[in-house]
Amino acid sequence: MTPDNTSFAYTAYTLAGIIYLAYVLSLKLRLRRLRERAIAFDASTRPRSDRPEGA
Amino acid sequence: MTSASEPLPTARPRRDPLLGVAIVAVALVYVRALAFTPIEVRQGAAQKILYIHATSAFIALYVAFALMAIASILYLWLKDEKLDRVAESAAEVGLAFTTVVLLTGPLWGKTIWGAWWTWDARLTATLFLWFIILAYLLLRGAVEERGRRARYSAVLGILASFLVPFIHLSVYLFRTLHPMPILLKPSAPSLPNEMLVTFLFSFAAFTLLFIALLRLRYRMATLRDYVADREQERA
Repeated sequence: MTPDNTSFAYTAYTLAGIIYLAYVLSLKLRLRRLRERAIAFDASTRPRSDRPEGA
Repeated sequence: MTSASEPLPTARPRRDPLLGVAIVAVALVYVRALAFTPIEVRQGAAQKILYIHATSAFIALYVAFALMAIASILYLWLKDEKLDRVAESAAEVGLAFTTVVLLTGPLWGKTIWGAWWTWDARLTATLFLWFIILAYLLLRGAVEERGRRARYSAVLGILASFLVPFIHLSVYLFRTLHPMPILLKPSAPSLPNEMLVTFLFSFAAFTLLFIALLRLRYRMATLRDYVADREQERA
């Protein structure tokens, strides 16, 4: 007789989905923070004459 | 080391088409596995955990950690920072895949063995490997000097990879509850055709996801080193 353990399969798939999505989000977030830091750093070190007017 | 004269590595598209394709492919695997693949008669629906558990294990052990070891060996030889970034990225993405393996395995084990966990050779060695890779990443965070960090972590990465063949062979070497390989074995795969197609489709989709995550993680490491170089130049 085939056991009814569908809930275990769905739980496993849900858990895997959560782990992978959380990892993607963590990568995106860390990348965005670094990008902002790099852009801010570049802007602060750029010579004044290169900056757009009013900056 | 990245030079200050190099262009800012932020000038890349914000949307990553490969990541999008990989996520869609994994979603299709979910649909095919859960709705269109037959249920195994003796194990029930829990057998479908195979399509995420085994494929994640495959990619973590034989792709991610193998890549980490190869890149680490090449780094010690060539001292190219790009290789250190590849090793670091492969280790972190591999850790995410191994986490999935260690979380989905007990759910399958509970339905088949009646226990969430047993301290048998394969399960224990996989858990050890997870801890070693975690230590590898913590070590990278703890050592500030970049050359030393790369050297230490390359050695640890190579040593950690020695566990991979042991994990693969553990089911032959020890008495274990874990099933024998169904694909990576000398004889033909022991899966009916429909299940085999789902497994191979899942393998392709998760490989795509691995490549997309590896690219993203590598890009992050490059940008981090760029920022560190700029800050060092300024100081």
